[in-house]
Amino acid sequence: MKRIPLQGKYIQGILLFLLLVFAFAFPRIMADKPYWLYVALQSFFWAMMAASWALLAGYAGQFSFAHVAFMGIAAYTSGIAGERLGWSPVSGIILGTVMAGFVGFLVGYLCLRLRSTYLALFTIAFSEIVRLIINAEHQLTGGPMGLYMEPLLETTSYVPTYYIMLAALIVTLLSMYAIANSRFGLFFRAIREDEEAAAAMGVHVVRYKIAAFVITAMIAGTAGALDHHIIGFIAPNELMIPRMSLIIAMAVIGGTESLISASIGAILIHFLMEWLQAIPVSEAMMAKLQANAATVQQFGLTLGDGVIQTNAWRMAFFGLMLMLTLRFWRNGLIQPLLEKIGRQGIAEETVAKRKLPQEENENTEVQP
Amino acid sequence: MKLEIKNVSKSFGGMQALNGVSITIDKPEIVGLIGPNGAGKTTLTNVIDGVHNPTRGEVWLNDERIDTFPPYQIARRGLGRTFQVTRAFRRMTVLENMMVPAMAINPTVSKKEVLEKSWDILRFLTVEHLANEYGRGLSGGQQKLLELARLLMLDPDFVILDEPFAGVHPKLQETIYGYIDKVRQEGKAIILISHDMDSIFTLSERLIVLNFGEIIADGHPDQVKEDPAVIEAYLGADEEE
Repeated sequence: MKRIPLQGKYIQGILLFLLLVFAFAFPRIMADKPYWLYVALQSFFWAMMAASWALLAGYAGQFSFAHVAFMGIAAYTSGIAGERLGWSPVSGIILGTVMAGFVGFLVGYLCLRLRSTYLALFTIAFSEIVRLIINAEHQLTGGPMGLYMEPLLETTSYVPTYYIMLAALIVTLLSMYAIANSRFGLFFRAIREDEEAAAAMGVHVVRYKIAAFVITAMIAGTAGALDHHIIGFIAPNELMIPRMSLIIAMAVIGGTESLISASIGAILIHFLMEWLQAIPVSEAMMAKLQANAATVQQFGLTLGDGVIQTNAWRMAFFGLMLMLTLRFWRNGLIQPLLEKIGRQGIAEETVAKRKLPQEENENTEVQP
Repeated sequence: MKLEIKNVSKSFGGMQALNGVSITIDKPEIVGLIGPNGAGKTTLTNVIDGVHNPTRGEVWLNDERIDTFPPYQIARRGLGRTFQVTRAFRRMTVLENMMVPAMAINPTVSKKEVLEKSWDILRFLTVEHLANEYGRGLSGGQQKLLELARLLMLDPDFVILDEPFAGVHPKLQETIYGYIDKVRQEGKAIILISHDMDSIFTLSERLIVLNFGEIIADGHPDQVKEDPAVIEAYLGADEEE
C-alpha cells in the first residue's frame, strides 16, 4: 500500500530545530542583559521539573505532589555530601540523583494501590514530612536558614551555566522522549488508561508504576541538585507545596501528555512571570498613572522607573490562566498546537486507506 | 492445552458469588457460559484471569496452578479476555492499543514486527481505516472489535469473550463471528459469555449454565436446552415471556 508521507512530523521537526537554534543563540542576543539570561537558565530548571512531572502524571497517570521533595532530597544530599564529605558538585549531583531515585522507588512502592485523590494526598503528606524534617534537622541541613551549596563553576558570567542547564534540559528531554516512545512509555500510558485492562494484556503494572516514579524522581533530582549548585544555596521553603503547584500548573498549561509542550509551557510561564513583575509602560502612560497614583496603589500596584510593578497580581493572572486552561483547553495550550501540526497528513492517509479497496475494485472492473 | 477450574468458590463479604465450580477445558472448543444476571459469570472470569483470588479451590492452566498469579502473568501464560464493558485505552490510537499486548508478552519483539502484525489484524477485521484513531473516538461496536484485535495480538490459547455482541451492529457482529471462527480454526479454546441466545446456540460446542454461583448444567447445547433445571432457572423464564 502506498503511504502518504506525514508532512506534519517534518514541520514539527523544523519548528523544534528553529527553537533549538534560538536557544543556542540566546546568550548572544541577550549579551547585554544578563538578568534575562539568568531567567532563561532558571526556566530550564522549571522545564525539567514540569516535563518529568508530565511523564509521571501525564503519561503514567500518577498524579503526584512528591516532585519537589525528590528535587529537594537530591539537592540536599549533594549539598551535605559537599559540606560534610568534601564531595565535588558533580559527584554530589550524581549521588543526589541516585538518592532521589531510591526515594522515588520507596514512594512508588508505597503508592502502588493508591489512585487519584489518595495518591495526591499521600504525596502531599510525604512532601511536607520531607520539608519538616529538613527544617528540623538544622545541624545537618541548616534548618530554615538553608544550606550553602558549592557553586558548580567559579565564574560570574551566566553564559557557561546557561549552556550547562540547556544541555541538561536537552539530555533529560531526549532521555524522557526515548522512554516515552519505548515500550516503557507505551505501558505507562496503558496503565494510565486502565490498570486492569493493561494487566490483562500482560503488562507488569507494578514494575512500570514503580519505574515511572524512579525515572522521574531521578530527573527531578538531577534538575534540583544541578540548579541549586548554580544558585549556591537551598532552603526548605523551596519544597513547599505552592512550588509543586507551580510545576503542575506549568505542565498543565503546556500540556501534560507531551514532554516538549510541558517544558515549553514552563519556559514561557517562567518568562511571563518575570516580565509581569515589572511591566514597561510608555512615558505618556506613566504620567497618567502618576496623576492617579493613589488609585493605582489602592489596586496593589506600584509605579517604578518606567514600569508598573504588579506584585501579587501576577500570581492572580497566572491563576486565572490556569483556570481558563483547565476549563477550555484540557490538553493545555501548546500540546494541541503541536499535535495539530504533527497529525497533518494522517487524516489524508486514513481517507486514502478507506478509499483504497473501493479504488482497487474499480480498477479491477475496468481491466479486461 | 488444559484449563482446570477445581471446586472454586468466591465470596464477597457475606455474598457467595461462586460455590464449588469445577470446569475442565482440554481441547479446542467454543464453550458457551450462560446464566441469569448475578449468576457469577463475570466473577468466574475474574477468578480465572487473576483479578480475584478464589476463596476456595484452585485454577490450573496447562498443569500450572495460576490462582495465586497476578493477571499479567496469567495473560503471558496464554489466557486472554475481553471485558463486559469495553475497556479500550481511550487516549491511545488503535495501533498503540494493539501494540501493548504484543510488546508485553514478548520483550524482544521489534516495533516493526508488531506494526506489521497489527496491520494484518486490522485488515482481517476490516477496520484498517481506524488505525490512527484514538480509542475514545470509536463507536461501542468498534471498541469491541478493538478488544478482539488486542486479543489477536496477545494470541492466547484460551480466550474469554465477555458479552462480545452486546450493543453491536449486525454488520459488526458478522466480523465478530469471523473472529471467533478464525480463533477456533487456529486450535484455541473460547469461553463465550453472552445473553444473546441465538449466538450462543449457533456457536457453542459445549454449554455451561451457572445459577446462583453454581453449575446447573454442562454439556452439548442441545442437551442443555432440554435440561429441566436450566429451563426452570433460566430458559424457562424466557419461554414464559
